[in-house]
Amino acid sequence: MNDFLLIRKNLFRKKLRAILMIVSILVAFAIFGVLAAFERAFNAGEEVSEADRLVVVNKINFTQPLPIAYFNRVAAVEGVRQVTFANWFGGYYQDPKNFTVVMAVEPESYLKLISTEYAFTPEMTEAFVRNRTGALVGEQLAAKWGWKVGDRIPISSSIFSQKNGSTAWDVTIVGIFGKNKPQADTTLMLIQYAYFDETRSFGKDTIGWLVLKTASPALNDQVAKSIDGMFANSPYETATDTEKAFNKAFVAQLGNIALIVQLVVGAAFVTILMIVGNTMVMAIRERTREIAVLKTLGFSGGRVLRLVLGETLLLALIGGTAGLLLAWLATRAMSQSLGNFIPGLSLSPGIVAAAIGFMVLLGLATGLVPALNAFRLRIADGMGRG
Amino acid sequence: MLRQVLAVTRINLASIPQRFWLSLSTVVAVGLVVMVLLSFLSMAAGFRRTLASSGADDVAIALRAGARAEVNSVIGRDQVRLLEDAPGLVRDAQGKPVSSAELYLVVDGIKRSSQTKANLPLRGIGEQGAAVRQGIRITGGRMFAPGSNEVVVGKSLLREFEGFELGRTVRLASGNWTVVGIFEADGSVFESEIWADLPVVQSLFNRNNVFQTMRMRLTGPDALTQLVAYNDGDPRLKLEVKSEKDYFADQSSETSDLIQKLGWPLAIAMALGALAGALNTMYSSVASRSVEIATLRAIGFGGFPAFVGTLVESLLLAAIGGVLGALFAWLIFDGFSASTLGASFTQVVFSFRLTPGLIGQGIALALVVGLIGGLLPAIRAARMPIVQGLQG
Repeated sequence: MNDFLLIRKNLFRKKLRAILMIVSILVAFAIFGVLAAFERAFNAGEEVSEADRLVVVNKINFTQPLPIAYFNRVAAVEGVRQVTFANWFGGYYQDPKNFTVVMAVEPESYLKLISTEYAFTPEMTEAFVRNRTGALVGEQLAAKWGWKVGDRIPISSSIFSQKNGSTAWDVTIVGIFGKNKPQADTTLMLIQYAYFDETRSFGKDTIGWLVLKTASPALNDQVAKSIDGMFANSPYETATDTEKAFNKAFVAQLGNIALIVQLVVGAAFVTILMIVGNTMVMAIRERTREIAVLKTLGFSGGRVLRLVLGETLLLALIGGTAGLLLAWLATRAMSQSLGNFIPGLSLSPGIVAAAIGFMVLLGLATGLVPALNAFRLRIADGMGRG
Repeated sequence: MLRQVLAVTRINLASIPQRFWLSLSTVVAVGLVVMVLLSFLSMAAGFRRTLASSGADDVAIALRAGARAEVNSVIGRDQVRLLEDAPGLVRDAQGKPVSSAELYLVVDGIKRSSQTKANLPLRGIGEQGAAVRQGIRITGGRMFAPGSNEVVVGKSLLREFEGFELGRTVRLASGNWTVVGIFEADGSVFESEIWADLPVVQSLFNRNNVFQTMRMRLTGPDALTQLVAYNDGDPRLKLEVKSEKDYFADQSSETSDLIQKLGWPLAIAMALGALAGALNTMYSSVASRSVEIATLRAIGFGGFPAFVGTLVESLLLAAIGGVLGALFAWLIFDGFSASTLGASFTQVVFSFRLTPGLIGQGIALALVVGLIGGLLPAIRAARMPIVQGLQG
């Protein structure tokens, strides 16, 4: 009889008790998996951001406009390798409730700059550049509405209106693009800035923000300083920051999501630590006489200690793995229903690794006290008790 | 029978200290479940209340159709004039309506807790801007003087964001502004805003003759219908006109629904974990008292007292957990100030609110855990064969 068999038999000796402990561990790890996936999805912007990318926005706030002339002026700044700009459209499809991310962009420079995260084919790039009323649509957004290349659709704006009074712009889908990074979000639409700017009733010749690539991340600070310095004391002052810092600050506006996740996961783990820890102490105490018998048979204290720790580890691994599996199923189901609101919801290898680490810690922590009790047990005492 | 039940229940409760750690873990587990649930529910309730207290029934708001939020809306000077002539508005002695055409812009502030930039609303209000809202009180300093670069800030904004203390100079757009007053607004969303004189904001932000929303005080309950009919009948208007109360109710529902939709499933999942713990504790309780139970049965006690005794023990542990959880939730979360991004893309400051109704929901969840956790072990206690029990 090997030790593993002994551990397994011990664990499932009282089936109901073992199953109840497994359920409580399962619940805690399912909560951990789902919440960690949520937190990661919220921080996705920070993860996909590139080290050499800077964002230039109006110093008052990023919702305030900048003059389009800044595009050429920033392009001329030393250390700037590529630059492009975009304008927020405030898009929706058919009903204002169907909020849709639509950006009016300068086609050539924009596609070139974001081609690290999105997969644009040369054909769709060419079609987008050539077709003034063309639109490129991300895979997930196209799938949501069943759009195909060639479809002509009206896309409405909750902010802008056309000179003719209409609040919808007709665009033709010239390409549907995928992504190069797993965390990139493809629920967006790109339309031509030129078409948008000529037809809108106000705000002409202004843009929302500029995105640029520096020659090297080491130049980031210097480039940011020269850009902000160039526009200081003008009616449109700028604030230039790395894309990463910009995204991070934006997520922080929603609230302290990381803290909420930590508190809930912490509460769940304290619960199982107490339940499983106490149950294991009790379970081993019930077995005092058996442990004394094992020792009489020549099992060393160390081996008995390993048996008990093995039992709690096995328990944590069974419950934890089942919990992770459940979290995986749950995030998959949720990423379909919440895809538009929170894109990129999934269990990453990092989350799985952290969970396995927690399982081992949990197994050791809950087994420590009973294992030491068993280790220290003297045969005479053990035979006398129970 | 009743005496038997009472006697067994007393034995049950008196034996809790023998399983102190296990019982404590049930209490703590249930307590934590209730705390997590109440933290989410009080967050949702606080957010909803802040927006609900912002909207008045007798104030109408006009936005561009499809705008959904003030920040997106655009209204022209002509439309403002047309609305000023609308029926159903309260008017002063000169016949001028009590109304305020406003500009709603987003500016940067620094959030105290995270030291990151956050979107704050700067509202340019007309002469009647304060009068068209209820409960506006200047609590420090004074109101801004018309035509000047002065602002007043809401007291919630001051609490959560840096740089807007009384007397401070703030650079917004191409001008320096002085904070001359702090105002209160019945805990509404306006307390998270910066207010300045409309014409000054229009000129310094290059938005001459542009407005975003128009608020109008209504004469009575039927006035809104008249106003809506007037708006719909004029092709130059075609705006979206609704009561301010409805406008804010729409804005609150999405966020508070989302918080609740996160809170309940999390609490129920955690309750399942706690339930497993409660079942474990109660089965152990029954097992450790099997000799006692069998002895009582042997001397003529029925199965029912054993059933009740076990169930009461479980319910009591859960109730203690529930009450402790609610108490800690109240101590930690009630009145806790937080802010998040609202529908207008700006920060809304709100305080967590733990109402008696929510506490009731939390304790109900705790009792459900206690009930289910006690039921099965109680049945086992009642059905235990005497001989087997006596053997231990």
